[in-house]
Amino acid sequence: MTHHPWGITRRGLVAAALLGGLAATAQAQQTYTVSVSLDYTGPFANVMDSWWAGQQTVFEWWNETKGKALGIKLDVKTHDMRYDASVVARTWPQVLSQDKPIVFLGMGTPDLVSLMKRLPTDKVPMIMGTAMVGPLWTADGWHFSYRPTYSHEFAGLFDYLQKRLPEKRALRIGTVSTQGLAGYVDQVNGVVALAKAYPDRFAVVSSQWVDNQPVTVTNQIREMVKERPDVVLVGTNTAQVVATAKALKELGLKTPIVTSSHNGLNEAAKAIPIADLEGSYSVFAFAPYNDPSVKVVEIFNKYNKGKGTWGITSAQTAGQALLAVAAIERATAKVGAANLTGQAIYDALLAGPFPAEAFQGLIPSMALTRAAPFPTDNLAVKAMTVKGGQLVAVSQDWMPVPALAKW
Amino acid sequence: MSASLPSGVHFSSHAAERALVRTGPQRLWLAAFLLACVAMPWVGGDYLLGVLTLAGVTLVAVLGLQITVGLAGQLNLGQSAFVGVGAFVAAAGAGQGWSLWLCIPAAAFAAGVVSVLFGLPAVRIKGFYLALTTIAAQIMFPIVMIRLPDRWFGGTAGLPVDPPVVFGVAADTPRAIYWLVLAVVALAFLGAANLGRSRAGRAFRAMRDNDIASSVIGVDLARTKILAFFAGAFYAGISGALYAYYVRYVSTDQFTLWLSVWYVGMLIVGGLHTPLGAVLGVLAITALHEGVHAIGAKALVLLSGISNVSGGTVFALTNVVLGGVIVLMLLFEPLGLAHRWALLKAAYRIWPYPRG
Repeated sequence: MTHHPWGITRRGLVAAALLGGLAATAQAQQTYTVSVSLDYTGPFANVMDSWWAGQQTVFEWWNETKGKALGIKLDVKTHDMRYDASVVARTWPQVLSQDKPIVFLGMGTPDLVSLMKRLPTDKVPMIMGTAMVGPLWTADGWHFSYRPTYSHEFAGLFDYLQKRLPEKRALRIGTVSTQGLAGYVDQVNGVVALAKAYPDRFAVVSSQWVDNQPVTVTNQIREMVKERPDVVLVGTNTAQVVATAKALKELGLKTPIVTSSHNGLNEAAKAIPIADLEGSYSVFAFAPYNDPSVKVVEIFNKYNKGKGTWGITSAQTAGQALLAVAAIERATAKVGAANLTGQAIYDALLAGPFPAEAFQGLIPSMALTRAAPFPTDNLAVKAMTVKGGQLVAVSQDWMPVPALAKW
Repeated sequence: MSASLPSGVHFSSHAAERALVRTGPQRLWLAAFLLACVAMPWVGGDYLLGVLTLAGVTLVAVLGLQITVGLAGQLNLGQSAFVGVGAFVAAAGAGQGWSLWLCIPAAAFAAGVVSVLFGLPAVRIKGFYLALTTIAAQIMFPIVMIRLPDRWFGGTAGLPVDPPVVFGVAADTPRAIYWLVLAVVALAFLGAANLGRSRAGRAFRAMRDNDIASSVIGVDLARTKILAFFAGAFYAGISGALYAYYVRYVSTDQFTLWLSVWYVGMLIVGGLHTPLGAVLGVLAITALHEGVHAIGAKALVLLSGISNVSGGTVFALTNVVLGGVIVLMLLFEPLGLAHRWALLKAAYRIWPYPRG
């Protein structure tokens, strides 16, 4: 046996080298937690399989590909917040102490209202997948969405439709919504602000306030049609879309209904024949799930092992997860894989435009700033419509959103 | 509801007999219970602490409802709206830099004053008709709050709230907010229990049992009814202030008719006629709520892949189970868990003799 000058055997050296190598590999793989708010046992539980599948598949894909290359593994932890602000408030301390997340994926308004004031202190950025509302349009927050307000999204479609009117006049908009629910009222306020900003292009001719879950809105629609609207905006919930479609059919009218993603044509078509929605629209700031440019569907099909299906819901939450991993990649490039923190992710989110390539065809290039919790410049949307009983894209191109100041 | 005491326990004064805590063992049990409550943050995790804090916030509102409905017999299905008024006033006050010591009383008084507006019809009407006016309060609350100038209560935006500062320390940890809520709950319970033994409380009870007879013996019905609404909403305002500090944001859609119905459900399950009923009702419904959600979530995992049971089923089931419990309580124990508790105590005290 040959002895090393310092008394270490050759075999010992080999073992040490092997152990050192293993330790280096172990050190190279950094694990960070991403916490996610879900609603498994609350009002949105029925869509949660698809909601979660959209996020989970993106994170699994990222861990296997880009994460591996960067030496990062994202440990995704889900929390059943029941879509309830008080449950979010009481669960958050547990999320902070146990998960120590570098980023949090919120689900909706309850997450926003409960955490808005906490996030800057707790240094955890929150990324949303839903569109925002005017009341939450505040500066210097730690909550972000890749989608602007619902009113911005509607404005993008209204802009498109107004430009295609046979004569040069304002697009006549009727609205159906519910008093007393702040988010719903805000959607109408935003569209009224749009009409005020562009009076020669848009006019809100009638605003009908109905029950949150109406049995019928025929009387209200009868009142509205006296003002001859070109479109009826129903951005609230599926029950109101269905009631409006039934009312229009009852009155023998073919006025298109404009809906959002959460109460869109897919959802309404579960309750009424899709033929009753002929010509109506769903509009949102991400590409429709069946848009040929959307490549994230391949990731979804490869990594989805649950009951979730590819559709509007999973596309929306995949966009949320794609923004999160894009920010993580950018933060890693800036501070290194070993030094990721909530602050680093926050800084990365605000460090300039994210290219469209980061979003697999789902979202256009977008930039976040401290001025708003969503992108405010170069906004664009896509929409779906019912044509011949089929859901099809309104346009293959992104539809620009006219500038809309805070209302 | 007084339970009989063991033989050998007797009192030499009326005050001693009417005391809330009457015997040495009772004092010991109470001290142990309070100690356990105070020590909870060191024993329970963040989850349990969160559940108990929120239950405490709810309990203050239900104690208020116990005064209006249980003690005074005035139906109120708009308690959540009064909680909302308190929450908004506290949030607005906190936004102006008011301290906790000013915000909570201001919220309580504001809710009390607003309730008087809706309590006024109680002077002329009762029963279902009165219930309808309180529902009107619930429906009008969000519409009015949204339409008020934004600089008052935030309009559609609602209001963010900073954590309260208690004796110079920001109560921004689960432990600190738990202790704050615990202290307020203790005071609120003491107040509710004492109210029942006061002149006003006796007037409430007389009015509840027979309003015409009570007016004959000198109870000013109009004043007493308005006072009952004020007292109940006063508690609701305190609950609202605590909610605002806990959730740190208030918006109108957090205070729904659904919540008001739950408050009544908790009171029915616990027992209308004693503040202890409010405590037992809130604890029982909270435990049931959490239990159904926990079992449902586990069932979802177990059944995943072998059935089409979704989270929506669990959500629906939660409400079915909770609604079913209320129906069963009304059928088999209309006096609530508090009555069961009193029977249990009586049986324990006179053991081994059978309860007759």
